[in-house]
Amino acid sequence: MKRNHSIKIIATAVFTLITLQFSSVSAQSIWEGGDVENGQSLFNANCASCHKVTDEVLAAPGLGGLKDRWSASDDLLVKWIQNPQEAAESGDKYIKSIVDRYVGTYGWMNGQAVNADEIKDILAYVQNPPNMDIAAGDDSLSEQCPTIDYSADDSNEASSTLWFILLFILFVVIAVSASGVKRSLTDLIAERDGGELLPDSSYLQRFKAWAWNNLVFVSLIGLFIVAYGVTVGYQALMGIGIYDNYSPEQPVAFIHSVHACENEIDCKYCHNSAYDSKHAGIPTTNVCMNCHKAIKKGKRTGEEEIAKIYAAIGFDPATGTYVDGEGNNGHALPQASFEGEPLKWNKVHNLPDHVFFSHQQHVTVGGLQCQNCHGDVATYSVGRIAPVEEINGLVDKFPGLIQLSKPTLTMGWCIECHNKAEVDLAENGYYEEMHNRLKTTLRGNEELRRYLEDDKITVRELGGWECSKCHY
Amino acid sequence: MANNKIYWSGLDELEGTEAYQSVQGQEFPESQSVDEFISDERHSSSTTGRRDFLKFMGFSLTAATLAACETPVIKSIPYVNKPEDVTPGVANYYASTYYDGFDYANILVKTREGRPIFVKGNKTSRKAKANTRVIGSVMGLYDSARLQGPMKGDDVVSWADLDAAVAASAGEGRTVVLSNTVLSPSLNKAIGLLGAEHVQYDAVSHNALRTAQSSFGVDAVPSYDFSKAEVVVSIAADFLGSFLTSDYDADYSSLRNPEGDKHSKHFQFESTMSLTGTNADVRTMVSPSEEGKVAAGILSVLNNGSVNGLEEGVANAVKSAASALKAASGRSIVVAGSNDGDIQTIVAAINQKLGNYGSTIDLSNPSLAYQGDDAAVASLVADMNAGKVSTLIIHGCNPAYDLPNAGEFILGLAKVKTSVCTNGLADETASRCTYIAPDHHYLEGWNDLSLNAGKIDIAQPAIQPLFDTRSAGSSILSWAGAEQTDWYTYIRTNYNGSYTSANMYSDANWNRAVHDGTFTIDVASQTPDYNATVDVAAALQNVAKRSGGAMQLSTYVKGAMGVGNHAANPMLQETPDPVSKITWDNYVTMSRADMENLGLNTYLGQADAASVVKVTSNGVSVELPAFMQPGQKQGTVSIALGYGRGSNGENIGKAAYQTGANGETLSLESGLPMPIGANAFPFTSGANYDVQVEKTGAEYSLASTQMHGTAMGRDSVVKETTLAAFLTEADKPKGEASWNKAPGLNVHEDVNHDGVIDSRDKKSTNAFDLWHSHPVEEVGHRWGMSIDLTKCTGCSACVTACHIENNVPVVGKDEVLRHRDMHWMRIDRYYSSDYSLEKGAEEGVGVISSYAKMEDPSVNPQTVHMPMMCQHCNHAPCETVCPVAATTHSNEGLNQMTYNRCIGTRYCANNCPYKVRRFNWFNYKGHGKFQNFNPAADSLTRLVLNPDVTVRARGVMEKCSMCVQRIQEGKLDAKKANSAIKDGAISTACAESCPANAITFGDLNDKASQVRTISENNRSYHALEEIGVKPNIFYMTKVRNVDTH
Repeated sequence: MKRNHSIKIIATAVFTLITLQFSSVSAQSIWEGGDVENGQSLFNANCASCHKVTDEVLAAPGLGGLKDRWSASDDLLVKWIQNPQEAAESGDKYIKSIVDRYVGTYGWMNGQAVNADEIKDILAYVQNPPNMDIAAGDDSLSEQCPTIDYSADDSNEASSTLWFILLFILFVVIAVSASGVKRSLTDLIAERDGGELLPDSSYLQRFKAWAWNNLVFVSLIGLFIVAYGVTVGYQALMGIGIYDNYSPEQPVAFIHSVHACENEIDCKYCHNSAYDSKHAGIPTTNVCMNCHKAIKKGKRTGEEEIAKIYAAIGFDPATGTYVDGEGNNGHALPQASFEGEPLKWNKVHNLPDHVFFSHQQHVTVGGLQCQNCHGDVATYSVGRIAPVEEINGLVDKFPGLIQLSKPTLTMGWCIECHNKAEVDLAENGYYEEMHNRLKTTLRGNEELRRYLEDDKITVRELGGWECSKCHY
Repeated sequence: MANNKIYWSGLDELEGTEAYQSVQGQEFPESQSVDEFISDERHSSSTTGRRDFLKFMGFSLTAATLAACETPVIKSIPYVNKPEDVTPGVANYYASTYYDGFDYANILVKTREGRPIFVKGNKTSRKAKANTRVIGSVMGLYDSARLQGPMKGDDVVSWADLDAAVAASAGEGRTVVLSNTVLSPSLNKAIGLLGAEHVQYDAVSHNALRTAQSSFGVDAVPSYDFSKAEVVVSIAADFLGSFLTSDYDADYSSLRNPEGDKHSKHFQFESTMSLTGTNADVRTMVSPSEEGKVAAGILSVLNNGSVNGLEEGVANAVKSAASALKAASGRSIVVAGSNDGDIQTIVAAINQKLGNYGSTIDLSNPSLAYQGDDAAVASLVADMNAGKVSTLIIHGCNPAYDLPNAGEFILGLAKVKTSVCTNGLADETASRCTYIAPDHHYLEGWNDLSLNAGKIDIAQPAIQPLFDTRSAGSSILSWAGAEQTDWYTYIRTNYNGSYTSANMYSDANWNRAVHDGTFTIDVASQTPDYNATVDVAAALQNVAKRSGGAMQLSTYVKGAMGVGNHAANPMLQETPDPVSKITWDNYVTMSRADMENLGLNTYLGQADAASVVKVTSNGVSVELPAFMQPGQKQGTVSIALGYGRGSNGENIGKAAYQTGANGETLSLESGLPMPIGANAFPFTSGANYDVQVEKTGAEYSLASTQMHGTAMGRDSVVKETTLAAFLTEADKPKGEASWNKAPGLNVHEDVNHDGVIDSRDKKSTNAFDLWHSHPVEEVGHRWGMSIDLTKCTGCSACVTACHIENNVPVVGKDEVLRHRDMHWMRIDRYYSSDYSLEKGAEEGVGVISSYAKMEDPSVNPQTVHMPMMCQHCNHAPCETVCPVAATTHSNEGLNQMTYNRCIGTRYCANNCPYKVRRFNWFNYKGHGKFQNFNPAADSLTRLVLNPDVTVRARGVMEKCSMCVQRIQEGKLDAKKANSAIKDGAISTACAESCPANAITFGDLNDKASQVRTISENNRSYHALEEIGVKPNIFYMTKVRNVDTH
């Protein structure tokens, strides 16, 4: 930010010098003498939702090189901005050509409430846009928003296993060779001493003989192997249904950290049905397009990944318009006739079978933070199941997280939380009524005293451990 | 002393027969001995040894176990461009209208992620509830037999080719449009554009009722208002089940209210036990030929005359009905179900005499339904056969099935040059037409419908059309060569001439109309002359002359099946008939005496099949099993319409045909699939006063969900009293009135302080507690329900609604026969018996014999319908016996069933006193036996499943959950709204769908709730209260108005 600001000051200073120089020379042309800084704020307020200052098309043609291509009079440009239809009635050839070329695709531009001086400022800004490359190269944000790439961990684990197997094979080879050497030496001694040679036996027979000779050692090793097997087997069985770190490959290399951390987009902007449905929802492609209509190039993956969104919804980035079923572009809105292949995401947070979980109950009513179940997704690249220890570690960053011990997304984890989470009976009209019923009746009082033995009323005490709250 | 006695194992041994000697000495006297079995060479030729077999088994088991450990990757596919008003996981509701030529309802369609999954009545309309058939109609959308595009014979054609061919044909020669009664003003206008003749007919004709109103200058069936009818006399009109648009339950039940100022009195005269008959206060059995005399008798008594031509009992009933009517002049209704002009004329005269026209019967704004013209359709069939029709356009009807002379129609259809049908299935009619131009399912397209002039109801699509179908209106417009063929635009333009697609969403009036599902327009009302003279002289003469043979036949319509439009709807097929409780079948109802005379089997069971009889009338005969129906007039038989669909093997849906014990479609000898039941429409051509009924000797199994007829004196299950008895003790506190005494248990303690310990020393069941009570009462919620047996008509809308809401498996006839039906909610129907323990004691008959006699219902019994589902006992016997705690109690009073814990011991079902638990004997969604009808087994039909309810696996118990998914949703809505739950905000599927408003659901801990108030009423009780299980379901004593008026 700081650097940006200083650039602006320098740019403004340089520009002011230039304009001062020129203003004395030339007559009052609208292309000259505008205030760049004021122009930028005016541009952002009035123009930026449709025009870019480069050649790129947003919802209307980019304004880069406008001065070179504008071949009508300056007055007409002012009129064109203030009231395009009226300007078109002037009958100017150039105006007619742009009407023919663009209005069919983008529709008429709304007349803008700006006066000639302000237009001058805007044009000044359009001719002298800030250097976008410098801003894009700014990577201080990336430092604040580290992306943990969990796929690397898996390969580490896999390679260590590989090393272990290699070492084991090496050990076996050495052991076998050593025993061969020992045998040869024994034979040599026997030959020299004229003793009997060792019988010609297979490796297995020799191993058996060795084992019989070292019964205690072999038994201990055997016991160890069995114990190891049982332990590993037990752990493997206990791991069924636990998907810590589960992070399947996705059809689009969507990077959460870029969106949620660097650009500070709220989780619920994309996963908006978390407020009013049981499903948090995968963002629909048209939600992606809210931003990606303008942002056509990703910082890390370039155009390749964003192109997949365009392919799904039928968007032509070159013209900034949508394509219809017949392949014609030029539509301002997504076309129902376009039959794209929808993005098929792989679901990450799979709950155990036969459970009806509602996001709105937990997010809207319970006020839980997303991180309590999903971890700090803003630091991940792709979606993944955060282990419970990791979530517990986030409590400093996200105060109020409920710390749990059972593995994430298991029933034990759910009910552990229901046993810990407190319900504020005064907060909500519904709970207030429940509270009144407890306070005003004899039986209710008895229950209320039982609830308050630990000085708090938990979800469990209000029925959060009952089967048909989640299973029906 | 030595014992010289010789014991024989049987008479064979004593007599030393040959058969005995041949098996003597064999320990296992089987036809094939063990040695023989082992030495069978075929076994030794097998290449798999025992050890190999074990290895394979072991390997397979390990492989299966390992494979099961792998986590499946679940795909999550978001919308590409999400519609603004769809949130995944949240249901949307759309107001719409149902009309299929027989039923009409304002409905609300529940959709999830764009799929309609539930249909219910629209509360904002006057007729707020939908009946069983309408609720079940959502299944039809996902019928895999639906046509996927326009057809020419068996070939797929394009819409353009079809339109060109039909338009060309319609341009030359005589073109006729044959349809059901068209209620869409736009469609009528479109048909007008076609410039063709328009013939309308109805599957069940009310031609006579309509023409009888012509005396008053109106050509329409009347609008009845049962909410003002304090005395109702029905002459074989099943107005609670299938009369006209069958939406009178709510109005009728509003006067079945003993606590209110007025309690209606209902007389029924009929031959078979109809649903309406079961609800009558006074039911009299008359044969079809006597219906006219009953009407004539009532008119005569009203004119201070006498009743002629009827036996004494019937005549007395006619007199008391007439005097009750007289006392309630202007506040009564007389209806007749017959399509007999004479009867309807007399009934019109009766209602006129009583001054009912203009008060309970309205002709100034009559019903526009049932405009069918029997004569016109008869002459059309004749013209078709004479080759005088060159183009026939058939819309919304199935004449090749439901015309009385369907055979002639089929012959005539072959002579029509071009015939085109808009039906969505290649049914009896469509499959015989040159072209089929399939219409949308009603949930896929726009429509405007008008049951009463001035009120336009909107049908709006709740889903994009699944297939390449087209609105029938669009088709007709195309064939008429109209410029604008888009049906939606056409409808909009009809009500707003300046409509263009630019103002599609900007018309606030239209937007409100779509939201509400209805809007009104100004039309001049009809001006009937209620004082016009009704000429009944000829009619009276005609009815007096009528007499019947030894046997008479009447046809009727069943609650769930209707006229056969839903033949392939498995949920409706499996919904038991409200009266007979038989599923999946059609039969002949007969009286016990007639059946015994013919030597037919009157006892049905899993192994006791019904006897098949052949019924012949006017040269038409059908063979159907005979069913003993209490209340059937001796000398009459009755057959339901709507069965025998697809008798020529048409592809109308797999569930429309009979399925064998292994899931295969059964075939007739001809190789065609075997339809369910037989078509009785040929009998509707005229009166069936003299029919022949013969025993064929064949047997046929009927699958019933309730085999017992009476409650056998168990007066703590159903409580019933008369209105007079109720009124004398109406003010007594709960538990003290003689008709609803709280049960007590005898104790060895002088409770009443009279100095002796005897049978009068009783304590309330609340005094005995084996366990600590759950913290339910006064803490948190206590969900409860009350069911008013006085209001409940037994219509079974709740059964179907529950079935669909909770993904209850459809199990098919064979499993129902084994009593493995899965309904979470059933309606127990109890008949009264002439016998009682007291009577047995008087006659010196033993107790057991008395009970045996009490099993037999009376000849003309009184009937009670009792909806029965999990009673959510606070001391639930099922909970204590579950070895794995799969069924537990919640602090909200719910008896919870946790499927993933259940291991299927079925202890709970055995310990349930109400027998409401159901066991999943099969993997219904995957087992081949259920492929023809289980919704979860078909990849298209599966879309109807409710995503909020688990589809249960094999081996687990299930039962009513009190729609816990709705409770959870309702609580969450309240929390989000930051308020307490409003009474009525949460409703179960059954309570919501009850057309009679008999079921009330709510929070018993909410002191202001309706259910709490009702539970404290002195009519309310628990079923089997004496066993002390403390249910959360309350029943309200049935009050029958037999003794006052």
